[in-house]
Amino acid sequence: MVSLFPASFTRTRRPGDILLGLAGGLACAVTLLALGCILWDLVRLGLPHLSWSFLTGEVTENGRSGGIGPILISTLMILGFALAFVIPPALGCAIWLSEMVRQGSGAARIITGSVDLLASVPSIVFGLFGMSFFCQTLGLGFSILSGSLTLACMILPLLVRTTLSALQSLPADLRPTASALGLSGATMIGKILLPAALPGILVGITLGVGRALAETAALIFTSGYATRWPESPSDSGRALSVHIYDLAMNIPNGSGAASASALVLLVLIVLINTTAASLAARWHRRHSAS
Amino acid sequence: MIPPSSSDHGPVSSCSCGGLTLTGVSVHYRDFTALRDVNLTIPDCGITALVGPSGCGKSSLLNAINRLTDLIPGCRVGGSLRDGVGTELTDPTLDVLALRRRIGMVFQKPNPFPHSIRRNFEIPLREHGLPRARVREVMEKNLREVGLWDEVSSRLDESALKLSGGQQQRLCIARALALGPEVILFDEPCSALDPISSAVVEEHIAALRGRVTVVIVTHNLAQARRIADRVGVFWIRDGAGTIVEEGEVETVFGGAKDADAWRYLAGGAG
Repeated sequence: MVSLFPASFTRTRRPGDILLGLAGGLACAVTLLALGCILWDLVRLGLPHLSWSFLTGEVTENGRSGGIGPILISTLMILGFALAFVIPPALGCAIWLSEMVRQGSGAARIITGSVDLLASVPSIVFGLFGMSFFCQTLGLGFSILSGSLTLACMILPLLVRTTLSALQSLPADLRPTASALGLSGATMIGKILLPAALPGILVGITLGVGRALAETAALIFTSGYATRWPESPSDSGRALSVHIYDLAMNIPNGSGAASASALVLLVLIVLINTTAASLAARWHRRHSAS
Repeated sequence: MIPPSSSDHGPVSSCSCGGLTLTGVSVHYRDFTALRDVNLTIPDCGITALVGPSGCGKSSLLNAINRLTDLIPGCRVGGSLRDGVGTELTDPTLDVLALRRRIGMVFQKPNPFPHSIRRNFEIPLREHGLPRARVREVMEKNLREVGLWDEVSSRLDESALKLSGGQQQRLCIARALALGPEVILFDEPCSALDPISSAVVEEHIAALRGRVTVVIVTHNLAQARRIADRVGVFWIRDGAGTIVEEGEVETVFGGAKDADAWRYLAGGAG
């Protein structure tokens, strides 16, 4: 909608307003500068290392030379399995909280409280839990499976919260409307509410992907360090973030490869975010009034 | 038991078993009694208007008829509601999903699903067992019924929310009609619309006479007088809503026996 009063209308020339404008502009400049510095640093140090063979090649000399092929594959496997493990319980939990239990009831309060508590647990704690439970108790060892299960636990509360708020922000009259047409609860949820809440759910998944790709602490203890090509989910596999950490901290002369890997990680996150955003935009074109 | 659904999936041409008999109906929300001792005969295929000030339990009565009251925590319905063949609608063992197919509802605010126009028909029709191949035909027939087909036939796959308010409300009427109901409950269907859209929607509701039993709650007395055969006037008695006057529309508007109803219909109260 076009505002009757464009932003420029409010620009007056009083000294206080000029100062405020300067301060706001400065704050924006600092934000941009931070992003610019990071990008400049990564590009300056990392770009010379980037090549097709870097993306697809094997890791040699602990990462000082060679590429990150197996690490990219491990990362994508960990991410894919984590999403597959987290999406069903997260949707189920959010649907139960939003549609099946009375708001404010004891059970609902206990579950939402637990979800919020889970969200505030530091990732290193998830790592320790994953190592003792998935790796040792369940006997999965240091594996892509253990890592993705740990990540799934970590992003579960985030996805529950975003899905829940997406469902709760739908127009309230959708539910009586669906009931008045004789639709069953399953049809109402599966064919009307979930599709309508999809953009919000996609935002939650994007945030979860971002957290999962950035995660180091929870993965060091669970999916391990192995740099060979993963052959199955029960192999150990090193995630990109763990690789960057290792190159930067433990490998002399590894900073170039670390920057190149970080650049790849950044591009990967941007790609996933824009894909999700364009899916949501396409959904909006098809479903909304504007 | 509910008779098998009409396979026609559209308004039936000759009406049957669509009347309703309400005896001593009350609606309670926990400790609050919204409606008490309502006795009303809703004739088969006629248009019955329910009028009265806000808060007299008119919408509660509609929700009791199609059992939307089941969804409200703490809500209880007392008394007896029987359809034309004598089925007790308050029976807890009744299949309410089948009941709601037989007794449709159109709400105050137009409420298409936030999906395409086609999906708005496809979801309920498929739910009630219509083969996918027949969805388009039934959709077209009912969109024509409300005069919307020519306006939307070229954009069936666009969002239903892109339609104007009046078009959305006609879509909702067509969507309710598509299930082949015997009764349609209208809860102030025109009060969220501009006067011109309101007149168009009213015209289409009036056209349902003789094919579907219509129960319409309205605050527009002139509208009730224009389209209804019978009218029920609601008022508060002893802290709860009830029907204080009921009968043929001209008789009730011509001279209601109840003093409150008389003043309300004459424009002096409410």
